[in-house]
Amino acid sequence: MMSKQLAFYVDSQKCIGCFSCAMACKNMYHPEPGVKWRQVYPLSEDIYPHHERAFYSLACNHCEHPTCLECCPVGAYTKREDGIVVHDQDKCIGCGNCVRSCPYGAPQYNPKLKKAEKCSMCWERIDAKLEPACVQACPVKALRIIDLSEFDDAEALHYPPGFPRFESLNPSVRFKLPRHPHVVRRNG
Amino acid sequence: MEKERKLMNSSLLNEMSRRSFVKLLTAGGAAAMLHGGLLTPKAFAGPAKTAGGCKAFHSACQRNCYDTCAMLSYVDDGVLKYVEGDKQSTFTNGGLCVKGYSYPRRVYSPDRIKYPMKQIGRGTGNWKRISWEEAIDSICDKILSIKKEDGHLLGLALDKNSGSEGITNCAVIQGLFTGLGYTTRFEGSNCWPAGYDAQYFDFGDMVCNDPEDLANAGYIILWGVNPAWTSIHTMKFIYAAKERGAKVVCIDPVLTQTAAKCDEYLAPKMGTDGALALGMARHILDLGLADRGWVADNALGFPEFEQYLREKVTVQWAAEETGIPAETIARIAEEFAKAKPATVWIGYGLQRHTNGGRAVRSIDALVAMTGNVGKKGGGARYGQEFTWDFEYWPKSKMSPPAGSIGFVNPAKQKPGEPTVYSNRSLNRNQAAREMRKADPKIRMLWVSCSNPMSQYPNRNEMEKMYRGLDMLVVVDQFFTQTAELADIVLPTTTQFEEWQVNVSYWHYWLAINEQCIEPLFEAKPNTVISALVSKRMNELSPGSCTYQQDLTPKECMIRNFNDTIHKLNGISSWEDLLKGPVKAKRNPVSWAEGKFKTPSGKYEFLSAKAAEYGHPALPEYHSRRPNHDKFVVLTPHTKFGLHSQFINLDWMRDFNPEPCVYINPNSARSKNIVSGDMVRVYNKFGEVAVKAQVTDNVPEDTLLMYEAWFKNEKFNVQNVLDDAVADMGAYQFGGHRGPAIQEQFANVEKM
Repeated sequence: MMSKQLAFYVDSQKCIGCFSCAMACKNMYHPEPGVKWRQVYPLSEDIYPHHERAFYSLACNHCEHPTCLECCPVGAYTKREDGIVVHDQDKCIGCGNCVRSCPYGAPQYNPKLKKAEKCSMCWERIDAKLEPACVQACPVKALRIIDLSEFDDAEALHYPPGFPRFESLNPSVRFKLPRHPHVVRRNG
Repeated sequence: MEKERKLMNSSLLNEMSRRSFVKLLTAGGAAAMLHGGLLTPKAFAGPAKTAGGCKAFHSACQRNCYDTCAMLSYVDDGVLKYVEGDKQSTFTNGGLCVKGYSYPRRVYSPDRIKYPMKQIGRGTGNWKRISWEEAIDSICDKILSIKKEDGHLLGLALDKNSGSEGITNCAVIQGLFTGLGYTTRFEGSNCWPAGYDAQYFDFGDMVCNDPEDLANAGYIILWGVNPAWTSIHTMKFIYAAKERGAKVVCIDPVLTQTAAKCDEYLAPKMGTDGALALGMARHILDLGLADRGWVADNALGFPEFEQYLREKVTVQWAAEETGIPAETIARIAEEFAKAKPATVWIGYGLQRHTNGGRAVRSIDALVAMTGNVGKKGGGARYGQEFTWDFEYWPKSKMSPPAGSIGFVNPAKQKPGEPTVYSNRSLNRNQAAREMRKADPKIRMLWVSCSNPMSQYPNRNEMEKMYRGLDMLVVVDQFFTQTAELADIVLPTTTQFEEWQVNVSYWHYWLAINEQCIEPLFEAKPNTVISALVSKRMNELSPGSCTYQQDLTPKECMIRNFNDTIHKLNGISSWEDLLKGPVKAKRNPVSWAEGKFKTPSGKYEFLSAKAAEYGHPALPEYHSRRPNHDKFVVLTPHTKFGLHSQFINLDWMRDFNPEPCVYINPNSARSKNIVSGDMVRVYNKFGEVAVKAQVTDNVPEDTLLMYEAWFKNEKFNVQNVLDDAVADMGAYQFGGHRGPAIQEQFANVEKM
């Protein structure tokens, strides 16, 4: 049996692109202005036809094989038993290897502290049996935490259109695609 | 809940406090201020929920918003660390929005107004820090000189708006002004007057079903409303209805985020909503689907309405007027009439039109004739105010100083009787026009909880009028475009720095807002500012102000409670709210008993009251005003702000970096515009320079810019909006009709 791996489930069918998740993260961790641990990305119009009307809310994917952990020269990254990839800023020397090597852009460079930082999946909150700040913030339950060792939804997507496919990393995130409304445009 | 808080305090927060607030201080430039001792946290003797670590306080969001969230604020060592939604409110349910979560930054923003400031040369930016004493002295001297020179205070005006909806902020500044004498007030509402009047004509009151009851609907039309952006906490109830099989339809000239989440989206021409509703009503008649039993028992004037529909309305006519194909109108009408219960959420956007009140009456009629009024999961939902029965203390209990001279209303003054004085009331929706014609002239203006330069139409004319004042006083937290024109700005507190109590005009919850941190810098609550003015006025001229000089914000909040509020909410005292928000003990279904508050006691398709105010007695259609320029301009809400609030914060700008104008691909092509081009949106009133974004979310004849105030940007949608007013609003808003700000026109060209 696969070992425990916590993951984000991103339901773009429910997501209203309200950015509450992204700001809830700032509210909790107060990153420097310009530093975003979570971002809400609009889908391009070749994926969803209506401009800025469907989104993927993304942060660190807490990969099975995290490249940040592999490339860090000082062992600032650890992977917990529940799969969360944790960055220890006290150990970080700010070399930028992780920032450059993560294809999902999860580690962010903090120009004030001259160190990296990233989404922690609010492991302190998870240990306290609370939801991560972003998950609690979602007004429509479009963002959830799942355990991939138990997750069993054949319709969930791992690499939906617009989300880069890096199978060697095996990002811990699953998706549901947005739907289209029936649109009645006007005449004249 | 309590357990959760304790867990938070034991583990996470110690970690948080170590890393995040130090960073916050560095980031905000607030560290420098620490040296001056201004941010040094003082011990606050509030009712702490937990011992040690972070303390949780009950807060309430003060913004002019459907959702009016019950919040929890976590404070450590006198510093606000983070906020979250209160799960005790089933409406807020633990989450805030992108704006609410930015509060920690709003409170500690380096851009807060920190001290009273005086501007040497209006609009020059040459600001000088002054003491509170000097500021209040200058203000009181000016008020007394106006009184001495004019013999009255009608030259002194107040613009208090919806920037804070805390109950004391709805009563304090007006109280101060009443205490000074008879003054000039900018009144009316920029928001909802036309639809508000419409509901009063039809129902005799405005009461919506509990929004949580949307989950019970079998069919939902979201008409001119975009809750995915402006009421995100209602979306879960709409989704719940969908999951139970309800169909959700969105009607809007713009393909909004809400439209994208619905089953079906209709895009009628701007300002034709009334025709669409009447076309649907006619088809329902033709199909024999009107609920004749309900109408016979509960309504007045249905035969006349039916006759009007049969003589003047066809589905084909509605199709031509709205641009929506006749077969679609017929299909949606049939679905709506057959689904039980069916409901419409009537947005405020569709009534900000020269025919907006009539449009709301037409939609009300559609809901009523299908028997959906007074039903669980039904209703014509617009808003409610039954949760707002506070004392409005002190404004409601005060009188001007004896012997004050004021405005004499010729319509109300009877010959031979003693002169009756009152305040002079001007329509804020036409503020510039009203100021220009005001006689006696307005010499001094006090602006509180308001940013007219960002929110009122005809901005260029507004600026001219403001520049002509002897003195402009602005009370705010940030240097808004209005503050930029002030002579004196006074820093005021956020909700975290004062006591408040809040209710919504949508949901049924009541929440207290405890003070959880000391006021930052030299900011003061409006209660305290008003008391300072009153004290100084009386020192300079005994008896010149009747406002209580020692009123504290908390005492003021407490005095706003009364038996009506206690009974409605099932509490015995305001202190019960310290345990958490409560919901009004009231039937979640409005009009369930069928006792309407109209003159007839029935639902009135035919309203004599409407006729008395110069409207047709029936909800007859009237075309909107014609275009005065090439494109329709829409300037609705952005999800990143509440009117001009929040958009200026650097945290917000990380997600919403700059303003833009949205333009349809066909129009863009004809104007040689591509996404990213700088363009000029212009008309005879002014212009806006802004980046273009090309999208077919907007129709070909439409330009869309979100109203906003970005720090260090001139962007202002009001430059191109005129002060046309809606058809209705005069009935319930003291003669002041609502704004027609979604019925505006301009052209565009590449720069």
